[in-house]
Amino acid sequence: MEVTAPRAERETGKESPPSSARTFVPAVLVLAGTVVSLVGLSWDAQWHADVGPDTFFTLPHLFLYSGSAMSGLTSLAVVLATTSARRSGRLIDPRVGGHAVRVFGGTFTAPLGYLVSGTGAAMFLLYGLWDQWWHTLYGFDAVLESPPHIGLMLSITVTMVGSVLVFAAAKQHRWSTPGLVGSAVVLLSFNFVTVAGLQLLNGLVNAFLVGMAVLTVLVWFVLGEFTRRAGVLLAVAAGLSVSQVVLWWFSPWAARIYADMVDLPLRDYVDGVPVIPALIPMSIVAVAALAEAVMWAGRKAGLPVRVTAASAGALSATLIASFSPLQDGVVYGAPLPDSAGLFATGLVAAASGAFAALAGRRFGALLTGLAPETRRQRA
Amino acid sequence: MRWFVYRWRRRSATVAAFVLAALAVGAATPATAQEYQPVDVVHTERVQAGPYELTVGFSTWPVRALQSLDFTFSPAGGIAGKAGTLTVISPQGTESLVAPLARHPRERETWGLDIYALEQEGSWTFRFELNGPEGPGTGELRDLVVLAQPGPPLALSWSISTIPLLGLVAFLAVALLRDRARRMREALP
Repeated sequence: MEVTAPRAERETGKESPPSSARTFVPAVLVLAGTVVSLVGLSWDAQWHADVGPDTFFTLPHLFLYSGSAMSGLTSLAVVLATTSARRSGRLIDPRVGGHAVRVFGGTFTAPLGYLVSGTGAAMFLLYGLWDQWWHTLYGFDAVLESPPHIGLMLSITVTMVGSVLVFAAAKQHRWSTPGLVGSAVVLLSFNFVTVAGLQLLNGLVNAFLVGMAVLTVLVWFVLGEFTRRAGVLLAVAAGLSVSQVVLWWFSPWAARIYADMVDLPLRDYVDGVPVIPALIPMSIVAVAALAEAVMWAGRKAGLPVRVTAASAGALSATLIASFSPLQDGVVYGAPLPDSAGLFATGLVAAASGAFAALAGRRFGALLTGLAPETRRQRA
Repeated sequence: MRWFVYRWRRRSATVAAFVLAALAVGAATPATAQEYQPVDVVHTERVQAGPYELTVGFSTWPVRALQSLDFTFSPAGGIAGKAGTLTVISPQGTESLVAPLARHPRERETWGLDIYALEQEGSWTFRFELNGPEGPGTGELRDLVVLAQPGPPLALSWSISTIPLLGLVAFLAVALLRDRARRMREALP
């Protein structure tokens, strides 16, 4: 694989013609595919919790497959169109998914963003086969964090990362930032489940809570650095809350409607708590507001951005990891962890959160290289 | 401009065709209740919980770690008018599940656990605390032997399943290294 500047641009130095629609439509389709996957996941988890019986062709499963199919086929279409454009010497617009990359020795030319989103969708297919084989060996388990399920969810995550890249590459367009925020919201909402796989590492420190906090801080600071706009952290947090509210209503409702459709009863003793949205921290907007305030105060005091970001990251991660057990107490009536565990988890979350904020800033700066007109070039 | 519009329309038609194909997959006929098979009990054990005799059914025998199966819990005379709690105790003595006895989703006339797996090999205990017309009663199914997990070692399964994550990390590492090399080149006089 080789990263190349678009040939037409390199040879002629000309910018490709501006075209918002050509950039917008596939970007939105990839994002829409990830939204369908998120809805399918939440519905499926609720189905298992409230109803139970499982087959390969349940409606929530079909949502999961359709989401990846939608993102994957859109990515494939863009890659084929880009390959065709390159072969016929036409201009390649790097706003459509970022700079082009040669794949398989130049057989294909793929915009980096769509290459990543398409690769995630292709891996989803492979992990679907791995999951089927797993079921023949271990039964049709409903274990969310089984190895093949984590593989499937990580594959969808790769597609979601591709969605972030695609919207970042379209930075010249007004809709880039809302698209980025939407992609980040979907990525985070979905991956609070994936990090549940870390529960296997739980000891004194709750690795799951640390993972959840670190992921949130990382994504926040990627977007913060890339957009350089105050309020982006808050926008992502608000989006997460909207996602939580919508899925909180939708998932149990859809599970019940579907159970009625296929004439299956609900389980006895259904607790009524929506599984996936209950993972999203309810404190997220308050924590984001605090992080924004720390960043604002740091700027005002003239502190180095690294120091302010690390402080905001540490604080945010600690709060997210500390409030989540309280949330479980309120929602599920779960007992609070002992103070030693809470303290150790908070400490590890603080250190990891500081690191995640700095890493996020670095990755955010990297993203600017994906967009054809970077902040550096404009300055 | 007209050529571009034409090309765009042609491309959007292709994209639309792909999306419609994806949605068609999504709209495929979903499963119906008839496709969910009733529980096929292949082995049973008896437990005396006070005045109640309970039959514990297994859809797979012997039981292996991580392999999910259906369990049924049928008190003599049926479940009507009876209630209770199930506690599943691991070989280490920890309570891995404490839950009210609920009807099995595919075998509604008995209590049960559907597609449930015991995580590790060893000797497990199922404790039943029942209450009904004849008062309370407690009984245990002890020494339920769970054999070693089938298939590849879990470490290998997890290694295979985390390839997308490792790929993402490798992708970011390569991007960071290239960016650093570019910055160094730009810094040269």
